[in-house]
Amino acid sequence: MTEKTSSKEIKINEEMKGVVMARIDAQVPSNLKLAIGGYGVMNKEEMIEHIKKGDEVGNQIVKRHILFLKSLASGEFTRAIASVE
Amino acid sequence: MRKGVILTLPCYDIVTEYLSAFSQKIKIESEKKGVFLKLLNKEKANKREFEKVINKLDCKLIVFNGHGSDDSIKGDKGEVLVKLGKNDFILKNRLVYARSCEAAYLLGRASVKNSNGCFIGYDLPFEFYFNSEWAANPIKDNFARPFLESSNLVPISLIKGNSSLESHERARKQMLKNIKKILRSKTQEAFFIAESLWNNYLGQVILGNQKAIL
Repeated sequence: MTEKTSSKEIKINEEMKGVVMARIDAQVPSNLKLAIGGYGVMNKEEMIEHIKKGDEVGNQIVKRHILFLKSLASGEFTRAIASVE
Repeated sequence: MRKGVILTLPCYDIVTEYLSAFSQKIKIESEKKGVFLKLLNKEKANKREFEKVINKLDCKLIVFNGHGSDDSIKGDKGEVLVKLGKNDFILKNRLVYARSCEAAYLLGRASVKNSNGCFIGYDLPFEFYFNSEWAANPIKDNFARPFLESSNLVPISLIKGNSSLESHERARKQMLKNIKKILRSKTQEAFFIAESLWNNYLGQVILGNQKAIL
């Protein structure tokens, strides 16, 4: 199973969206922009707006956040980081 | 097939401007190693020119910068350069690195079927953060650097003569090192930068011949 498939399998709920929006609001500085594939470029306000709308890019931002948290919880991230000097 | 590199450098929006700016290091490495390099700059990164150059120069390594989808890689102003089922045969038996979103997922897999070639690319959307204050001078942007310099290691390592697997692993290892460094910095945005690098780390895949060399 590829990561793309597992990303597609994540079901997004309002609670998840709320958590991600709160983190973006608190931790992403206003001069930082995200370039995400063919979805284009966006600042923190635009990221939050996409998540609120629940459009494709908004869902993508939430899904990759959940994937990251899953990698942290499973130990995959920690093992990978520990493998490099 | 000759030992040489074709490098596409579309440059028509902020994403392609950053990819092009950071690709200068690929150019420098080719010159240093005396490896033939053909640049397809800006509007030259179109389908007609690309196919002409491939047929005429027959270079083994193709490095794509630009937008993409799971079945295509794009060039100048989003013009499709390679499309699954149309002209993907052009990639057969070559070494390909596509810094294009998701192109590995269908196009990459198809291109290495019944082929001795290798495709290194992304199953997920390739992403990076950048500082809007440096948008006019991308190369000085320290937010974009860990994303684009680590991914640069795929073609740079291939040009140095390393195998496709080694080149793929070097780039991924550098992504992990960058994540570690960023998390240690404990800056406000560190978690988000790390999350995006992790996305690229997970998304980068090697398909086909893992022993392929330039």
